Amino acid sequence: MAEVRFEHVTRRFGDVVAVNDLSLEVSDKEFLVLVGPSGCGKSTVLRLLSGLEELDEGYIFIGDRMVNDVPPRDRDVAMVFQSYALYPHMSVHDNMAFGLSLRKVPKAEIERRVKEAAHTLGIEDLLRRKPRQLSGGQRQRVALGRAIVRDPAVFLFDEPLSNLDAKLRVQTRAELSKLHRRLGTTFIYVTHDQVEAMTMADRIAVMNEGVLQQVGRPQELYDRPDSVFIAGFIGSPAMNFFEVMVRNDRDGMYLDADGFSAGVPATRTSELLPYSGKKIIMGMRPEHIHVPEYMPPGTTAAPVRARVDVTELMGHEYYLYLLNGGKQFLARVDARAVPRPGQDIEVVFNMANMYAFDPVTGKAIQRTT
Amino acid sequence: MKKELMKPRAGFEDFASRLKILLSRFPLHFFLVGIALLWMTPAFGLLTSSLRDAAAVANSGWWTAFQPPFEFTLENYQQVITQSRMGAGFINSLIIAIPGTVIPILVAAFAAFAFAWMRFPGRDILFILVVALLIVPVQMTLIPVLRLLTDLKIAGTFPAIWLAHTAYGLPFAIFLLRNFFVALPRELLESAYLDGASNMRVFFRLVLPLSVPALASLAIFQFLWVWNDLLVALVILQDPGKAPMTVTITNLVSSYGAQWQLLTSAAFISMILPLVIFFALQRYFVQGILTGAVKG
Amino acid sequence: MAGWLRSGPGGKSINRRGRLIPWLWLLPSFLFMAVFLIYPVIDTLLISFMNRDSSACAGAANYQYVFTNSAAQTALLNNALWLVFFTVLTVGLGLIFAVLTNRVRYEAVAKAAIFIPMAISFVAAAVIWRFMYTFRPEGFTQIGLVNAVATNLGLDPTAWLVQQPLPYIDLLLPAPLHTNNFALIAVGIWMWTGFAMVVLSAGLKGISTEVIEAARVDGASEWQIFRRIILPMLSPTIAVVATTLVIQALKNFDMVWVMTAGNFGTDVVATLMFKEMFNYHDFGRAAAMAVILMVALLPIIFITIRRFRSQGETR
Repeated sequence: MAEVRFEHVTRRFGDVVAVNDLSLEVSDKEFLVLVGPSGCGKSTVLRLLSGLEELDEGYIFIGDRMVNDVPPRDRDVAMVFQSYALYPHMSVHDNMAFGLSLRKVPKAEIERRVKEAAHTLGIEDLLRRKPRQLSGGQRQRVALGRAIVRDPAVFLFDEPLSNLDAKLRVQTRAELSKLHRRLGTTFIYVTHDQVEAMTMADRIAVMNEGVLQQVGRPQELYDRPDSVFIAGFIGSPAMNFFEVMVRNDRDGMYLDADGFSAGVPATRTSELLPYSGKKIIMGMRPEHIHVPEYMPPGTTAAPVRARVDVTELMGHEYYLYLLNGGKQFLARVDARAVPRPGQDIEVVFNMANMYAFDPVTGKAIQRTT
Repeated sequence: MKKELMKPRAGFEDFASRLKILLSRFPLHFFLVGIALLWMTPAFGLLTSSLRDAAAVANSGWWTAFQPPFEFTLENYQQVITQSRMGAGFINSLIIAIPGTVIPILVAAFAAFAFAWMRFPGRDILFILVVALLIVPVQMTLIPVLRLLTDLKIAGTFPAIWLAHTAYGLPFAIFLLRNFFVALPRELLESAYLDGASNMRVFFRLVLPLSVPALASLAIFQFLWVWNDLLVALVILQDPGKAPMTVTITNLVSSYGAQWQLLTSAAFISMILPLVIFFALQRYFVQGILTGAVKG
Repeated sequence: MAGWLRSGPGGKSINRRGRLIPWLWLLPSFLFMAVFLIYPVIDTLLISFMNRDSSACAGAANYQYVFTNSAAQTALLNNALWLVFFTVLTVGLGLIFAVLTNRVRYEAVAKAAIFIPMAISFVAAAVIWRFMYTFRPEGFTQIGLVNAVATNLGLDPTAWLVQQPLPYIDLLLPAPLHTNNFALIAVGIWMWTGFAMVVLSAGLKGISTEVIEAARVDGASEWQIFRRIILPMLSPTIAVVATTLVIQALKNFDMVWVMTAGNFGTDVVATLMFKEMFNYHDFGRAAAMAVILMVALLPIIFITIRRFRSQGETR
């Protein structure tokens, strides 16, 4: 059994609390991605799990074994490091065989496993080479191979793609997902890139400043972020935030900003009633802002006039940097719109996809529907 | 399976566990501190003995000097400086060492710059020759050099030993400086050339100022090397009036063999300058050794 | 415009006059090195085949002398002893100290203490240790620390710098395994361990922590990490230290000269050569000894060049 459980785990470095009261359960065979900005503690969590760091409080379980006092070599985990950490003086084959040779696994078995892993990763030709003769992508596969060969209970990944170029990264993402399905082992994966999280994870755990912010499926985090932080972190390009005043009039509820007034759809008015006359933070993702001519059918449109500041053509769509009432925000619109910098245009917010947050706590205003 | 929270370590528990860790590492600390003390003991014994009078040194071990009565004296130093020519020796060592440091560095810097940033046929082979010369033992050169200097009628003069030390110091100096120059950012030099600077200007205004750490390490290394040298001085300078301290001490050892109070003070005088340099500029010294050793 | 400036693999010089410039920069250095290093090496080689004042050819007589004369043989054997014991013990101790100091907070201080002897001259070190080794016959107060400790332990005082069997063993082992040689080698170790330690420590710190952590997660114990990861990764550095020490072991002059003047069977090739030059005035023999030293160093020269070239390929 290879589920993983953190119970109230805390790790301090002097005055800094790197991991603050973390409680998290990872199911067997799950692909969990730990994501967050630099310094949020995600790498520390991984190191605590692998045993490379010792925790100050709490418990960690691998399977049903409590591993607080178990040294790394007996925890049955394998780790892929950001810099791959291959043994430079050993060949690829020996790099992969090292862990097994330490455990006195019979030579024939070692050969079998190494060949199999090499075959899975497509590196059979490289077995005799030394790490310095390999490209970045090849080294990464060797690091993967070294982990696979050990057949551990849990795989740990510490930002494995960050040293690869963009194209290779996209390719390797897909291969990692395939690998996970094939091996059927628990993957715990750390990254700062939310795209990797969204594309690969069964569940995402977002951390900030040592504290676990939210855990859930990618779609959950996208649709129902718990807080402004999560809303702004998940989804690329990031969500736009507007400070607005809730106005409840005879003819409906509106969110008033300096430069626009957006009508609140009927489905969302009840949760905002407590905020009548008060300010809230409204979130609107760039992909939910459209140019009227090309807005998708069924859009609950709230028109907003804005000046185009910068346009970036992405091929199938434009990123528009718009200015309204002194505030800049980003929209992703259909490429046929051909906007020009300096132009005053009207865009529409799809209010059905509106997000609302309490301005003081930053937490999402709970939906009633 | 108990699921109680692991409480944060309260003050005493934390202290106790730290103490336990410290104690388990006690053998390590004991060993290391012991070794460090052991290593410094010989020099310490030297210093202590140099401060005791002749009778005390001849009749009791220096470790006994630390109980009353505390009889320490500076008369050994007095005697050694005035009568045994250590004072003259110190000056001679300076006269030998300072040009013996400055000249090789200057000469080597030019060559190192050429090796690092200029193209010419045979550059790599010539540099390998320099690397090989690093290892040639000085003994291999002494006889012909002595003969040459004698023929030129400068054997036994200070300029002769300056020339010798320059030559002997060049391979290491060129090696060290060239490695350093090569690591300078190419764009910096190229933009200077594009702006119209000549080689001399780039060398003096750009390369040398940027190389101060390497030059400092090299200077310290070379200075100490020349200051502590015995063999070259013995062979080339035969005039006792020009003897550096290393030679003077050697003579003292053969003539005053058992007068430890004098020998120890003489030795300590020769050690003062290197020790001061070492403590003040340790970083540069170590850096010099590392660059020379690890890179090569 | 500096036409000859290296601008990449294909850069060519366009200024014909500029072709001379590099040579001008190199000239002073090469002049010095040619006169004081290159020419003398060749000349010494020639002298070694000539008679005592180089007036006539003497064939291989000098070499014959060196290999048959008993004093010269002793010197050669002593150098071999230095080569083995000095190098191995210094590297070993340096490695141990490098590993240990890495783990304590007062690392810098501990390393400085062990490194200090490198700053002083061999001559001063010789004086220090002559003093340490001083011998007074039994019954007299010992003023040398080594004998003081020995007598306190109930052992007889020994004259460490005189040729004799290894202490407290009543066996005269074959030359050069005498006390005094080991006493001298101990001084060399005292001086050079700091160097080995500092260089090896730098090498140790150059090993990336992630590689060691990967080994930990892979299942290695601390000892296995040391033996299978750290040592192999450290071997280039160990090689550098070892070659430097070997060179020192062979070139060694100052220390032996001041401590024993090569007497009592402690002569090494360098001291013997000096005696031939200035006491016996036989330059032919002296040159032969120098050549033998040089030949012993040839493998080192090749290794260094090879290592340099393989590193330099990335230039």
